[in-house]
Amino acid sequence: MKDDIEKIAQPEKITLPQMLDFYPLEDEKNTRISQFFQNLKMGHLTTTKCKSCRSVLWPPRVVCSNCMSDDLEWVNLGTEGELYAFTEMKAGAPLGFEKDLPFCIGLVKIGGLLLSSRIDGVRYEDLKIGQKVQLKVVELENDGRVFYRFKV
Amino acid sequence: MRKVAVVGGGATRCGKREATWRELAQEAGKAMFDSVMNLSPNDVEALLVGAAQPERFTFQVHVAPLVAECLGIKPTKVIAKTELMCASGQAALRYAWACVASGLCDVAVAFGVEKMYMQNMAEAQTNMTCVLDREWDGVNAMSAPPFFAMTAQRHMHEFETTEEQMALVSVKNHHYSTMNPIAQFQKEVSIEKVLQSFMIAPPLKLFDCSGITDGAAGVVLVPAEDASKYTDTPMLIAGSGQANIGNAVNNLASISEWIPLKLAVREALRTAKISLADIDIAELHDCFTISELMEYEAFGWCDRGKGGKFIEEGEPYIGGTVAVNPRGGLLGCGHPLGATAILQSLDIMKQFQGDVPSGRLVKDAEVAVAHNLSGAANVHSLMVYRRG
Ligand SMILES: [Zn+2]
Repeated sequence: MKDDIEKIAQPEKITLPQMLDFYPLEDEKNTRISQFFQNLKMGHLTTTKCKSCRSVLWPPRVVCSNCMSDDLEWVNLGTEGELYAFTEMKAGAPLGFEKDLPFCIGLVKIGGLLLSSRIDGVRYEDLKIGQKVQLKVVELENDGRVFYRFKV
Repeated sequence: MRKVAVVGGGATRCGKREATWRELAQEAGKAMFDSVMNLSPNDVEALLVGAAQPERFTFQVHVAPLVAECLGIKPTKVIAKTELMCASGQAALRYAWACVASGLCDVAVAFGVEKMYMQNMAEAQTNMTCVLDREWDGVNAMSAPPFFAMTAQRHMHEFETTEEQMALVSVKNHHYSTMNPIAQFQKEVSIEKVLQSFMIAPPLKLFDCSGITDGAAGVVLVPAEDASKYTDTPMLIAGSGQANIGNAVNNLASISEWIPLKLAVREALRTAKISLADIDIAELHDCFTISELMEYEAFGWCDRGKGGKFIEEGEPYIGGTVAVNPRGGLLGCGHPLGATAILQSLDIMKQFQGDVPSGRLVKDAEVAVAHNLSGAANVHSLMVYRRG
């Protein structure tokens, strides 16, 4: 009987395109807020502001969540923020981020918004609430997508 | 709206289980049907299955029919999975209640299943990082532990709450869970043990955090007027409240105060026609120790910022102002996401029936509230129960 059991191959690893990729797709084929990433590549952290009701919206949107207008413009948030809260991931990072452990995460006040962000190049013990942090742009080596972070 | 009663239910043992998602569902389903007289699977017209992430944890969607098939239920009125992350089970309860209250059906089952232990636990952690806004918060590795760590940091910063006060929540809830045979954690912890446990995300340490848990549970809901057909000791659904403000971290009403919870509490008290002082038991969502402190405040049992003092003075213990988490809470029982709210309602029913060990029995309890938060504490869901 055992001779009848056919062995079949299964790949060691299965590539999961986009499934567990935390970074947003940023090109024009995939999103209508591609401008955010183009601005970020130039060193500018921007978001959408409603031309109708003047609401500054985060995350960037294509429709104003305050008044439903779709007439939005890009505004610059600046490069210096203030640390509102922070912690350090010691364990339990998601796949793709494990190699970075331990790393700091914070809530940064900038341009009237409260952004979550990685806080690079510093340990928990060296941070304090109210501290100034500076915008930093990171680029994914494999496909050139960019995202914002902050550094001390 | 018709009055609705819970007439019975059952649950699995919770923890790291050597069983699959569907086996957990079968265990809980058998326990549920075994507990209710004069009820067969054929009588169930509506089935709501709370499940937070079966598609990620077990690579299975369309799980409500899977549960129905396993339990021999053939719903004729309503069937669906409900997802509200950590409150997925309460979503199932709320919809089951609404189905019966509205007259849409006469027998509804609110069920909850979660299988969180995976071969690769890094994958389980990854799943928990798409709960907040994945593209703008999750991308920064913002899952629950760092979010609640920063919540705790702000609470400590603004109100001088201490790590010792947070640890007291863990001490209390682990104490009660030692008297709950289905709880994941069966050992007492001391303040020192909590403070010295492994740092996850400062200031939160291992014992400040609820566990990763496998578990399932189900309860049966019928019109109150039919309850005596199924049990002599039903539990009535007296009221409910639910509120949401924002999703991404930027759009929360506040970090250090849970304003949607205050709104949900007001609505729950109003619909149940009770005051805060009427609540004998509160099963609160202690996903992290800081959560329970902030919940004392949002309910109004103490002033804003005084949650730490409230537990220091013993007020949330049995015999204090209100018995908080005499089941053992999420910290002691574990947190099988979709099943948690069902487990809370089951234990409250057992409290009303006097069917829990005396060390965690809230004598003569008449009114209880069950609470779940979800996401970045931006949704708060409440049910009010009354002894039938
Ligand atoms: Zn607008």
